[in-house]
Amino acid sequence: MSHRARQLRVSALARVEGEGALNVVLHEGAVERAELRIYEPPRFFEALLRGRAYTEPPDITARICGICPVAYQLSACLAIEDACGVAVSTEVEALRRLLYCGEWISSHALHVYLLHAPDFLGYPDAIAMAAEHRDTLERGLALKKAGNALLAAIGGRAIHPVNVRVGGFYQAPTRATLAPVAEQLRSALDTALATVDWVASFEFPDLELDHDLLAVHAESQYAITRGRLRSSSGLDFPVAEFPDHVVEHQVPHSTALHAELDGHRYLTGPLARYTLNFEQLSPIARQAATAAGLGSSCRNPFRSIVVRAVELVYAVDEALRLLSEYEPFQPAHHPVPPRAGIGHGVTEAPRGVLYHRYGIGTDGLVTTATIVPPTSQNQAAVEADLRALVAANLALPDEQLTPLCERAIRNYDPCISCSAHFLDLTRTER
Amino acid sequence: MNVLIGVGNPYRRDDGVGPLVADQVARRGGNAVQSDGEPAGMLLAWENADLAIVVDAVVCEPSTPGRVHRTSVDELPLAGGAPSSHGLGIPEAVALGRALGRMPARLVVLAVEAADISLGTGLSPAVAAALPALVSQAMAELSGGRAFGPC
Repeated sequence: MSHRARQLRVSALARVEGEGALNVVLHEGAVERAELRIYEPPRFFEALLRGRAYTEPPDITARICGICPVAYQLSACLAIEDACGVAVSTEVEALRRLLYCGEWISSHALHVYLLHAPDFLGYPDAIAMAAEHRDTLERGLALKKAGNALLAAIGGRAIHPVNVRVGGFYQAPTRATLAPVAEQLRSALDTALATVDWVASFEFPDLELDHDLLAVHAESQYAITRGRLRSSSGLDFPVAEFPDHVVEHQVPHSTALHAELDGHRYLTGPLARYTLNFEQLSPIARQAATAAGLGSSCRNPFRSIVVRAVELVYAVDEALRLLSEYEPFQPAHHPVPPRAGIGHGVTEAPRGVLYHRYGIGTDGLVTTATIVPPTSQNQAAVEADLRALVAANLALPDEQLTPLCERAIRNYDPCISCSAHFLDLTRTER
Repeated sequence: MNVLIGVGNPYRRDDGVGPLVADQVARRGGNAVQSDGEPAGMLLAWENADLAIVVDAVVCEPSTPGRVHRTSVDELPLAGGAPSSHGLGIPEAVALGRALGRMPARLVVLAVEAADISLGTGLSPAVAAALPALVSQAMAELSGGRAFGPC
């Protein structure tokens, strides 16, 4: 292995919501660099938002991602309402949470079944897996469909919902609109529980992360749209202090910004939520987690597939609870007159903490916009994992090391993971 | 059931042609949805469809921006070199749909040659000029070759 340089490279992806590249450089048996570049488009959106009306960011930022548009819409709404000094009613809050459950179901079903499971079952992708696991994949599609149905019933359509606005909704759906969705979700709950059983039977490589974990936390419920930020290192601060603790900075090897929490590397997403908010899971979700062999925390990124499955159970269960309590309400939104100021909004996107900050002028136009998506917050942690993984597996030939790196990245469900094969490997002898 | 699926991102200039066609077809009473091309979403969008028409932007070399290619599913490239800005989106959706027996009875792809898929809004002049004819063609295809009457 001496006097050899190896390079594992992910070529740039032309996938709309994520443009990324991974470069692992080894030299003389040591990992020289592991560089991950993902998620550049938010920078563009920040520039595009300046000078737009303060009512526009929810719809514009929804286009950053086709898989988690609700996350963008609601982080934007919360930030703008914060800037304008408006608090929405509990009805609006509950309907937002219900809508968000739809997105978690849809996104997690996609990742668990179509993107992540093939790694554990030894298939290159879901297409190859379909030949022998057709019924299983059908189950995943049925779950995703239930999530989409919820999104469409509240949001008007499943992708880039059109019913969300600053202050609430254009229209609160009728009970008749939601009734068939509840029916679908009741059967989805069984499917989600079966999903936990299924993924719990996979084999997981041993790996324990020591990164700090960051998630939104609320006392009364598993936080999605409301709460303070908490870390496993003991930090506990309100949303408005996000920029005081999370600092984005340039790193020499990449044009992408890295985020640090009080100067250190951290991880956001399902593992962080689960570990920090286990007590807030519903009883049925907690039982499923325990039956699947998870403790009250999980720091093995390969087991994130089990955590996502548990969150699937929770999201379906929580959606059913919210649906059973739902009554249509009027007006469907609060008036939010523009006010000059700065506002902060944080929600738990399927992939983790999503922060928006807007400055609004006296004319109601956006003066500044900052978006910190989960995938970019996780970059440093993913790079650290890759360095450790490669260093521990240097003896493997490239054709085994490359898929291992791919798996390590897919554990975090970054937006670039939609491509089943994204690592090109080149080896340079020198 | 016939459905038109407009694939693309309106914040990637000409890549927004698919969603724009879907929007205009829906306004004229046609059954149309937008998609980002994610395979599982595509399978659900064309579920139980007799005919699915997919409209997407393609980057060609050499290129005649605004030119529309009408292809059937069999003519799609299946792996590598997928000309869409969505990487492997549509071909992958077709492969997955075939493996799961989840294909529409007929699938037609209207691929529009793009001039510019950089970050930003608005179509290039060539693609904008092709839009009215494209919407008419999509409406005609969607209604089984007949023009739509008043609703």
